[in-house]
Amino acid sequence: MPVYIDISRCIGCRSCEVACQRVHGGSGHINVHFVGDQASVPIFCHHCEQASCTMACFSGALHKEGERTAFDVEKCIGCGLCHLACPFGVVWTNKIAHKCDLCEGRAQPACVVTCPANALSTDFQQASRRARSRAARAATLGGRR
Amino acid sequence: MIKVDAGLCLGCLSCSNVCPSQNIVRTETGKMRYIHWKKCKEECDLCVEFCPGHALTLVPFDENAPESEVSFELVACKICKSCYATEPMLRRIESTLPANMQKDSEGLEWIRVCPLCRRNIEAERATRQMVLARSRKSP
Repeated sequence: MPVYIDISRCIGCRSCEVACQRVHGGSGHINVHFVGDQASVPIFCHHCEQASCTMACFSGALHKEGERTAFDVEKCIGCGLCHLACPFGVVWTNKIAHKCDLCEGRAQPACVVTCPANALSTDFQQASRRARSRAARAATLGGRR
Repeated sequence: MIKVDAGLCLGCLSCSNVCPSQNIVRTETGKMRYIHWKKCKEECDLCVEFCPGHALTLVPFDENAPESEVSFELVACKICKSCYATEPMLRRIESTLPANMQKDSEGLEWIRVCPLCRRNIEAERATRQMVLARSRKSP
């Protein structure tokens, strides 16, 4: 159940950042990046199938749990290898590592529930449905939306 | 007492993180990282156990042995030039990841790019894709 992002809906309000920090004791794992005046893009863990952070992890703290790239805080020694091994720069180390845990224990991740623009979702079907209907619209309108 | 093999040390600071008595001191200036092992009399070997490079060994206490120190020049990011890691740590990652994962879809050697620039690159690519999709002409 990874989080999907539809950046054409993101309004750059950074509510997801605040929500993530609120539920993770001040250190958030989602960052909204602004690309000029074109777009705002929340950047967060992809929960990669072949996760390089888990390969680099020396103590076995980072591991795959189904679709989720899970993190065992008890095992982490704070070597920071995962921080350098993440291709997207979304694992941080501050004495110990911290990363997106998809809000373990909650029904839905806090960022998804909070997003006022519905840009974030955990529903793959919805993400692909939106992309398909956008493509269809683009085809009929000759590029305009 | 802890003996350090400077050739194996990654400069990752795990030892300093796990040391219960703060006997391993880290100092970082802009471009350099120094790790200093005070002479400790403890029989604890937490740092030895948790060293990713297996650079540490527990040896009997010796009054005359000098305190050990290792220094690392930090590697600068290829894009923003900020110093973000030690060379042995990056080498270690290059040796653990399969070769096909070390270059991204556009051939960038991302391991040599700092995490902040990696996030920026990801944001720029996603934006490019979105703009492209918006302006896609009908066939």
